[in-house]
Amino acid sequence: MSMIDESRESMPTATQSATTLPSKTKARRLSGRPDWHEYLPYIALALILIAVEITVPGARSYSGFALLLSASTAAILAAMAQMFIITAGDIDLSLGAFVGLINVLCATQLEKNPAIAIGAMIVSLLAYVLMGVIIHARRIPSIVVTLGASFVWLGIAILVLPSPGGEAPGWLIGFFNLNPPLIPLPVVIAVAAGAFGHIFMMRTAYGVILRGMGGNAKAIRRAGWSLLRGYIALYAVAAVFGILAGVAVTGLTTAGDANVSLDYTLLTIASVILGGGEFTGGKAAPFGTVIGAITMSLAGSLLVFLQLSPDYQLGVQGLILILVLAARSTGKRKEA
Amino acid sequence: MTTTRVWLSNRPWVWPFAAAVLTWLVTVYVASGRGATATLSAAALLSVFYVVVGMGQMFVIASGNGNIDLSVPYTMTLAGYLSMGYMQGQNGGLLVGILIGLICGLVVGLLNVAMIRALRMPPIIATLAVGYIAQSAATTYSHGSVAKPSPVLANYATAEVFGVPIMSITFVLVAIAVGILLARSTFGRSVLAYGQNARAAWLAGVKIQGTVTMCFVISGVFAGLAGVLIGAYAGGAALNIAIPYQLGSIAVVVLGGSSITGGKANVPGIWGAALFLTLLVNMLNAMGIGAAFRDIIQGLIIVAVLAIAGGESER
Repeated sequence: MSMIDESRESMPTATQSATTLPSKTKARRLSGRPDWHEYLPYIALALILIAVEITVPGARSYSGFALLLSASTAAILAAMAQMFIITAGDIDLSLGAFVGLINVLCATQLEKNPAIAIGAMIVSLLAYVLMGVIIHARRIPSIVVTLGASFVWLGIAILVLPSPGGEAPGWLIGFFNLNPPLIPLPVVIAVAAGAFGHIFMMRTAYGVILRGMGGNAKAIRRAGWSLLRGYIALYAVAAVFGILAGVAVTGLTTAGDANVSLDYTLLTIASVILGGGEFTGGKAAPFGTVIGAITMSLAGSLLVFLQLSPDYQLGVQGLILILVLAARSTGKRKEA
Repeated sequence: MTTTRVWLSNRPWVWPFAAAVLTWLVTVYVASGRGATATLSAAALLSVFYVVVGMGQMFVIASGNGNIDLSVPYTMTLAGYLSMGYMQGQNGGLLVGILIGLICGLVVGLLNVAMIRALRMPPIIATLAVGYIAQSAATTYSHGSVAKPSPVLANYATAEVFGVPIMSITFVLVAIAVGILLARSTFGRSVLAYGQNARAAWLAGVKIQGTVTMCFVISGVFAGLAGVLIGAYAGGAALNIAIPYQLGSIAVVVLGGSSITGGKANVPGIWGAALFLTLLVNMLNAMGIGAAFRDIIQGLIIVAVLAIAGGESER
């Protein structure tokens, strides 16, 4: 999908961006010249950590660190979900609502009727995959379908739990309060999520195919792979991470609220992009995404520490996204 | 038989109008005949907001190439606050107040274009990011401000002649003007040409930059106008009043028979789809179906219509 990228009234060709970009990155990699853009997520995280350290003394201790990061656990899992979708060249504008739906299902059913809760989660997973199938089988832009789907998820979530409430099962709350020795639980989850994404997308043969679909779907199809099956795989993995994020929200907030997770939509997109993902698809950066998610949620916490109203949360996320893309595009312009 | 089919395929607006009539008939049936005309006039009034934002969104979507404006509801909210905040419920601030709303939309539209152009952001993300900043600005502004419309404007937004809302009449006329602009002007033809095939349009000498900028600016200004109108109708600006119009602005364009991938746009269909959506909400209300179900049904209808219509053909 090419954007209005004809900035100098040059001849717009559909293949232009697809052919020039990979060769440029390849040339850079071959020349062995490190590109500072690859460190962008780490620079951003370092800046945020320094800012947190200045505003909240004591954040460096085990408990302080665990507390700071615990809020980002759900964001990390949700961002991984978004990463799989963006790798496919799509964008999921329904992810926040989907996480909210799972959160509400957990808070209302998991304690009393675990079977119903798990059944409902499986149905949600299938519905999410169906969304991906509709997008690709009918060749409709993912934005509109996912925006439509977000109303479906939110509507169902509000039907299940009209006002915030419910209760997370004790074992779930207990799990998220675990204090493993030396390494805080949020770090364990972050590394595990990143490692899974990395191994699945970067180290398995099928992962190469899935990334290739986002880069050049036609080539993958001509090589004899089923694109639809690939999209189903990506949406299914994304759904699993979306569900895990919903479970994490339940464990961390100890209750259900259909609306509390809605912010995850932009937050996860920003995390993926900050982490090094590309909107055009085909490029997965699992560890970058994790770093991006931590940075974005720490930026949110920082607002709280600075006693700024949560009203600014959305605006700040939008601003960070713009700044990151600005930083990236300036550097790339000069090289081009 | 074939002539009917050709006639229909050239007039995709027939479907949303037919759906609107059907929903209206069901509503009247459910209410056992009571308030048949009142339902229609209320729907005609509420449709105006969908039509206004829909016409802006139509230009953006028609320009194809992944263009979409997700900042619509946030622009509406901010424009509503700034405009009503200036009016302070007084007639003296009427014209300047409206102008402020329109300028607010203009600025958001230009910001959207700047992000897309300078930072090469996909329109989805650029408009969402700019929109969130606008929403934060509106939230900040909303604290402790009096945002009430001027009485003249509020009166205009609710007045009727012979049972027909004046605002609806106004925007039927505006829609006709927009339809002519789209079908007959160089700009309108450029938008459609660019949406159909960017390369061909460029070769034909379409000024792509200006055309796309104009589309986003129109969308911003219409969103600003809608923000002023809905504030006037509701008796004041509110933070969450515009939420339905993010999906709604896209829905009326798509349901109205415009192509979601661009290059094909239909103005009368927007009115039909807006009437259908408002009558649908009305019908579900009459049936005693709650807000959550309405969201689900609206979402499903939009996805279903898209799935049936299909997107871009394989090249």
